[in-house]
Amino acid sequence: MTDPNAIENNPFKELGEIPAKKYKNGYNVDSTYITVRDGVKIAATICLPKGLSPDIKIPTVITQTRYWRAMELRIPFRWILDSMVSNAPNPEVVTSRGYALIYTDVRGTGASFGSRITPFSEEEVKDGYDIVDWIIAQPWSDGNVVSKGISYTGTTAELFARNNHQAIKAVIPGHGFWDPYTDVAFPGGCFDNAFIQLWSFLGKNLDLNNPKVFRQVMPEAWLFVKGVKPVRTDKDLQMLNKALEQHSSNQYVYENTKEKDFRDDQLSDGSSFDDFSVFERKDEIERSNIPILAWCSWLDSGYCDAIIHRFMNLSNPQIAILGDWNHGAHLPANQFFPYRTYVTPTPKDKVNAWINFFEKCIYSDGIQGKVIYYYTLVKEKWNKSKVWPPIGHSYQKWYFSENLTLTREKPENDVGDDTYNINFRATTARNNRWWALLGFPITYENRIKVDEKLLCYTSQPFQEDTEITGQIVLCLYLTSTHEDGAIFAYFEDIDENGNITYITDGQFRLIHRKILSEDPPYKILIPYHSYKKEDSAPLIPGEITEVKFGLHATSVLIKKGHRIKIAIAGADKDTFLRYPKEGKPIITISRNKIHSSYIDIPIIKKEIK
Amino acid sequence: MEELLPSLKGILKEAIDIKADALKLAISMTVKNNIDGVVAEPEEIIIMLKMYGGLREDIPMEIIIDNDAQNITLKFQKEEDFKKVEKIMETIWDNAVDLLVQVMEGDISRIKEIPNLDD
Repeated sequence: MTDPNAIENNPFKELGEIPAKKYKNGYNVDSTYITVRDGVKIAATICLPKGLSPDIKIPTVITQTRYWRAMELRIPFRWILDSMVSNAPNPEVVTSRGYALIYTDVRGTGASFGSRITPFSEEEVKDGYDIVDWIIAQPWSDGNVVSKGISYTGTTAELFARNNHQAIKAVIPGHGFWDPYTDVAFPGGCFDNAFIQLWSFLGKNLDLNNPKVFRQVMPEAWLFVKGVKPVRTDKDLQMLNKALEQHSSNQYVYENTKEKDFRDDQLSDGSSFDDFSVFERKDEIERSNIPILAWCSWLDSGYCDAIIHRFMNLSNPQIAILGDWNHGAHLPANQFFPYRTYVTPTPKDKVNAWINFFEKCIYSDGIQGKVIYYYTLVKEKWNKSKVWPPIGHSYQKWYFSENLTLTREKPENDVGDDTYNINFRATTARNNRWWALLGFPITYENRIKVDEKLLCYTSQPFQEDTEITGQIVLCLYLTSTHEDGAIFAYFEDIDENGNITYITDGQFRLIHRKILSEDPPYKILIPYHSYKKEDSAPLIPGEITEVKFGLHATSVLIKKGHRIKIAIAGADKDTFLRYPKEGKPIITISRNKIHSSYIDIPIIKKEIK
Repeated sequence: MEELLPSLKGILKEAIDIKADALKLAISMTVKNNIDGVVAEPEEIIIMLKMYGGLREDIPMEIIIDNDAQNITLKFQKEEDFKKVEKIMETIWDNAVDLLVQVMEGDISRIKEIPNLDD
């Protein structure tokens, strides 16, 4: 959680105070099918403020999900609770502010008809346009539509802007990707096997309305939820059953990608990862000029990089917020304060801030320009910048040196290296930033014990407080005994008592090591690897090669007296696929005058700030 | 959702009337809230007894559901079966909420005790 006392530059304060409720008597719920251009019926649940008079027109917030727009609760909870009780955004908060709230099941999911081969397909995105047409034709609609969501629904919200419908006034993508290849499926070219497999498994069972599987992976949902909620008029469930039949031809990301390696690999329908990315739709999103409020966390998968790439690359008016919570901000995730039990801002604070943003975009001048709010760990303060990287940003090299140290001085010796037998039992376990995409807590515990399996380099105590903000770059000169392999690098803080705290990490599959000089498809601040087949190459065993890649972005204060540590592994067994599939590589990292391995740390200089 | 948890037990007890008739070996539940749609399917009653009530075995019972009256009646052949379910119903709402809270707090030990369900 962010420090509730961190008032200065706090985006949730700057987005305004909570205004009085316009409607105080709750909301009415209805549901229906909306037929889109190709005849597919999209299930929609509509929440309207109770007491809305027929002559009053109101704007609409829409959330398009693949995780059931509404749930049929189990008895006895169905007898006493509104079925929307656990929906996000909270219908009570949104409707009380004078908005209609619509949740839809995207095609091929929930109670909607149709089928799907990939997520975020063109057809799925276009459905948003047809749904807006339906919304603005409703007697209660004032012709304004905005969208928000978290994770999957965050991306549907962002891609909603791509439809360029004149009724769409603003979008809020929370915890969404920018580049699905590097942000989630193949960070650094390493296949995120655990998450993709589990996510696909859950998706398949959701689409077949089979909540039984939740017993193992989401027991609280299993205790509470019977299945997807049919639309109101579908009393005999005929429509739902027909829709579920159509879902049986769905395809899932895991089956489509488990044998893939490269960004340009074709999926079963001939598309590639980039086809369902956000960055490929950049021009259309920019053409809409729709204001965007994006938010995420430093600790969330590769989505922390996504929000920065969105900020750097989209010209739309934009507010970006980077905090210290888990995926979706249900749990605190700041590793320096493991005993914090709740997240600030609260869900209600957030929704109210989001609604204030919508009000500005619908009823006044909207927002101008771009601003990013980012929370600095340990400093426990919010910062604000109109540019990324922030003013004062520069890189500081720390070299790998003898006796497993990190030093500011480049090695002078002609020879010097360290050998490491890859330990394939090394793991960050199942509460890391990747598993967190399933809503799990983020805890990197017992780093002292974990690091015993890794090759670690540690600095001397810092002489002054030093703020690190941005992406650390790791440059290794290494040899391996094998043609394939991966590097997993963990950046950590060590306090005066020897306690080690995880800050961030990066992973990289060595066959992708070629650095391209051409422009990447979007602006980045780290070496550009294409991850394409044509640019890949096996290692030549025994030959020194340069491997240079970025870690996931962070913002942290290293306090005077603390040390920094870089811990190198070759596997993260509970999350990523093993590289190579077989064999036990031994790597040797050079640290000498000719081949000086180092980390480049993005420092924010005090005097310039 | 979390903010509702502390009051759920009271809401359940308030919203559902449970009556046991030892002479007729029958237990009835009447839901006082207005429900849109069916009050329950018969298999949902069994799942509820096993999931929240701790019932471990298959007990023969007739389940009569009156959707208009929002009433469910369970009729038993044997007194011992009636007594078993009557005892479960005395604490079922407390157990249901306690279980939910426990699992939401990350303790799934009691989930393992629930028998396989046809859900």
